[in-house]
Amino acid sequence: MPETNLTSNLHLLLPEFLLATLAFAVFAIDLLLPANRKKLLAWVSVAGLIGLLALALALLWGENEEMYGGLIKVDSYALFFKSFFILLGIFIILSSVDYVGKHLSHPGEYYGLILFSVLAMNVMAASREILTAYVALELMSFSFYIMVSYARYNPRSNEAGIKYVLIGAFSSAILLFGISMLYSTIGVTHFADISATLANAGDASPALWVGLALILVGLGFKVAAVPFHMWAPDVYQGAPLPVTAYLAVGSKAAAFALMLRLFAEAFMPSIDDWQIIVAIIAAITMTVGNLVAIAQHNIKRLLAYSSIGQVGFLLVGIAALSETSPLASNGVMLHIVGYSFTNLAVFVGIIAFFNMTGKEEIADFSGLADRHPFLAAAMAIGMFSLAGLPFFAGFTTKFYLFTAAANEGLLWLAGLAIVNSLISLYYYQVEIRHMYIQPAPDMEGKLEPASAHNPHPPPVGGGAEDASRHSPTPLIIGVLILMVLGTFFVGVYPFPIVEALDAATSAILPGAGS
Amino acid sequence: MAFQEVIFWVLAVSSVAAALGVVLLRDIFRAALLLVVVFLAVAGFFVMMNAEFLAVVQVLIYAGAIAILIIFAIMLTREVQQGNLPNRLQPAAVLFPVLLLAALVFVAVDTDWNLLQDQSRELQDNVEVVQTHTIGGIPDEMRGDIPGSDRSGLGELLINDFVLPFEIASMLLLAAIIGALVLVRER
Repeated sequence: MPETNLTSNLHLLLPEFLLATLAFAVFAIDLLLPANRKKLLAWVSVAGLIGLLALALALLWGENEEMYGGLIKVDSYALFFKSFFILLGIFIILSSVDYVGKHLSHPGEYYGLILFSVLAMNVMAASREILTAYVALELMSFSFYIMVSYARYNPRSNEAGIKYVLIGAFSSAILLFGISMLYSTIGVTHFADISATLANAGDASPALWVGLALILVGLGFKVAAVPFHMWAPDVYQGAPLPVTAYLAVGSKAAAFALMLRLFAEAFMPSIDDWQIIVAIIAAITMTVGNLVAIAQHNIKRLLAYSSIGQVGFLLVGIAALSETSPLASNGVMLHIVGYSFTNLAVFVGIIAFFNMTGKEEIADFSGLADRHPFLAAAMAIGMFSLAGLPFFAGFTTKFYLFTAAANEGLLWLAGLAIVNSLISLYYYQVEIRHMYIQPAPDMEGKLEPASAHNPHPPPVGGGAEDASRHSPTPLIIGVLILMVLGTFFVGVYPFPIVEALDAATSAILPGAGS
Repeated sequence: MAFQEVIFWVLAVSSVAAALGVVLLRDIFRAALLLVVVFLAVAGFFVMMNAEFLAVVQVLIYAGAIAILIIFAIMLTREVQQGNLPNRLQPAAVLFPVLLLAALVFVAVDTDWNLLQDQSRELQDNVEVVQTHTIGGIPDEMRGDIPGSDRSGLGELLINDFVLPFEIASMLLLAAIIGALVLVRER
């Protein structure tokens, strides 16, 4: 075996090493800080992540190298997702600061676990070997299990944690069983080898197909595709709000980063066999997700079902993958980016609202536009984008996805996806109607004693609990502005991103020159 | 009947019987004890398949640590539920596992495992395979040539080719420990 090059290109993993170091540093600093200075941890994490992003871009730009005998590959696909996940981590931490200061204890571990999960997501996007990918997926899942149950004096959070752990363990077992079936039939675990074997397999054995099916089911549980979605609403509702946002965006993006590479690099030769299955799952997922969303009263549950619908759209892209065209792969990645900006805009709005009022029912948002016009506008923009209206990210990204599906002959799927977008417009409109047309229930602000009002702008977060009851903190507003700008950017001028996507796609689908 | 076959059937019958007991007994403590029997029988299967390392790990971790953990958990829980409460999803809960089991049994019977072994060996000869090492699952005559079919090879793999997942697994355990502390510690 070639032992020589195991350490020769170790510097390519520097961002990962430093990310782990950063997490440990946060844990260590946490021990030294007095209880009222914990906010510093968030700034340390954010500063570290920004430094890491710069380092990763400078160090890894244009790299295309395998490490550990092909276990992981540092290529433009990995770099694209690395930058994406680091940015996501920054935004999640920034939008958590106020919430954590008010509602959660143990902030040090909270930020450290976010860093751990970012590390896991990076490895998931880079790994080209199924067990490495699996272990990274588990690291991410474990971080999420803990974060979901972080509000430990809240019974809903506990319930969510237990459900998520049980379903997560169950789906991991299914995934591993599938991997073991795959391995026992073809004896390899590297994506490149799986692809070579599948190309030669001809009439492959039933055990191989069951293995592939079980892998698909296991990943389906992780991304909450119907019919493996029933955990999502309860977990989304119970988890602390920033964690719900992270779960809806981060865990899905990472799982799709893994899936995209797995299906493009490993399972591509047998696309004729799985394409229709993925297409059917995509069709059921978006239809059920969007239809059930209509009946929801709680904003977190609504967004849970809406994110299930979005998973359906992403699966459309997986089903439309092709060896010769970059369209579907680009579409999946662009939709992930656009969906993240959009969904975070909505979630950060809800976090700001919850920080002020402690409420999360859809009816509670009545009259928001009068009291906090910017908040309402940002959330409305996010929801229009989720529904896929033009000028917003959702339109552009869905356009890519549906075009890819139509090009691959999946016209029925593209049509169904458009119908589903229309359905989703309805329940987003209901929420927007509450914010803009329904009168306010006339209670907030008046129940508060006037003495609680602090005329000075709060220094962001926990210490200024009373002041932040009346208006969102500048920090939250800042994040919200960035998310809204991102939504417009992807929607109106996506070309710089598409250029990066082309490079990323050519790393996983060398045949798909654009 | 060859000696190996006798051992196999003893292990097979005892493991299936014990597994049924785990599911069907209403006394959760006895179910836990029977689970130990299942773990030990599976360790026996590993020995029969020349996977001694896995057998040792199975006995140490599953039959040892995990079984004791379960029994402690039962002893520390004040009111242990006797059996599962019935609910309206019971018919579905019977139907789907039975269908899945039928599918898996069909697959296990229908797959020509020997042919596959030939195929994968052929592949390793003909196609340029990136993967140079595999853990277990190697035909007998190829054993010895490949590091990884024995314990020292396994250790070597873990600190060479597979050091990355190994390290990620250590971070996973760290995350789990931190999580346990955070969720149990008072403010």
